[in-house]
Amino acid sequence: MIALTRAGHELSWQKWDDVFIVYQPSSAETHVFNETTALILRGLEQSAKSLDELREFTASELGIATEDLDADDLAFAMARIEELGLIERLDDVVAGQ
Amino acid sequence: MIVGDLSRREIERRLAGTGLVVRFGPFHLRIRSDLASLSSLVHRLYQPYPLPETGEITDFHVGISRPRGLRRWLRRQACFTVDGQSPFAPYAAEHAFPALEWGINWCVATRAHHLLMLHSAGVERHGRAMLFPASPGDGKSTLCTALIHSGWRLMSDEFGLLRPEDGMLLPLPRLIPLKNESIEVIRRFRPEAIVGPSFLATRKGTVAHVRPPADSIARMQETARPRWFVFPRWIANAPLSLEPLPKSQAFLMIATNAFNYEVLDETAFRLVADLVRRCDSYSLVYSDLDQAISALDDLSNDVDD
Repeated sequence: MIALTRAGHELSWQKWDDVFIVYQPSSAETHVFNETTALILRGLEQSAKSLDELREFTASELGIATEDLDADDLAFAMARIEELGLIERLDDVVAGQ
Repeated sequence: MIVGDLSRREIERRLAGTGLVVRFGPFHLRIRSDLASLSSLVHRLYQPYPLPETGEITDFHVGISRPRGLRRWLRRQACFTVDGQSPFAPYAAEHAFPALEWGINWCVATRAHHLLMLHSAGVERHGRAMLFPASPGDGKSTLCTALIHSGWRLMSDEFGLLRPEDGMLLPLPRLIPLKNESIEVIRRFRPEAIVGPSFLATRKGTVAHVRPPADSIARMQETARPRWFVFPRWIANAPLSLEPLPKSQAFLMIATNAFNYEVLDETAFRLVADLVRRCDSYSLVYSDLDQAISALDDLSNDVDD
């Protein structure tokens, strides 16, 4: 399962044109996210999700079939927001305890 | 009372003594100097600037003076100081005035963190401000100087000072340092502009200072609401182009242009976002000042808010 971290819950959002400009208070950084990245975070804001659920949610919000969502795009976006400390894998958290 | 009410001799006496206190926009500066040559330039170029009432708090204590110790006998030099410290290597004595002007800007840029500071020129008309965030060499000072001699009020040539509480732009109508070819461009464009002497071979090339029109200085406490961001770029012989910018791009350009975006954290994010939401943003490419001014005049006349 994947969940937002506390830092992920604290973001301030601005949507302009086709990008999202996001302020992260925990690092005092401003990020520019594309729609896929923003939808992943929005989906996790509602509840923790498995990777399959997240893929399904994101594709549905983008208005495309789940199999049409590029796996590389999703993996890239996930890696980036994980690196920023905005999401965490709950399995890893449990395993570490 | 303004600086021009003082005789040159009185200015020299104050500079060499307890200091000449001058108001520049929201800041009071106490300037000291033991360089006799400085007083005539101060007398001429600072002439319309107000002298604060006695007892008001001074924001910056700056000086431009001969170095102490052996160095003063080896070479004619001038050291800029703030609060008694010298943040820069000494300048050639003949560059004392531009060094003082740069030093004052440095004080603002490094200390006025109660405001969001853009590296931007700004002008105003009918209560609405147009900001020109730019990098060195983009032609912002030349354009700004041309505009303030064509019916616009100078807010600032160097700093877009934005008050976080209400997003208003604070005037800081200081001297405008023109560089190299821009000096002759402005002398030809507006022969009536008051331009000081040219300082040759400074660290930034040849520099000459334009004194803002008296009206801009007299209204230095009159804030204005930002309405446009125009990102200028002077390109020789380029046809005029004034194109709207997407808000996302404008946000990133303004945020990266600010001196202290990181210092102000979320306050800066919210302030820039609010500015971008309320302002129209454009990219301007120009080579002809008359054309550029005409396009910006049209832009300001078209507004219906």
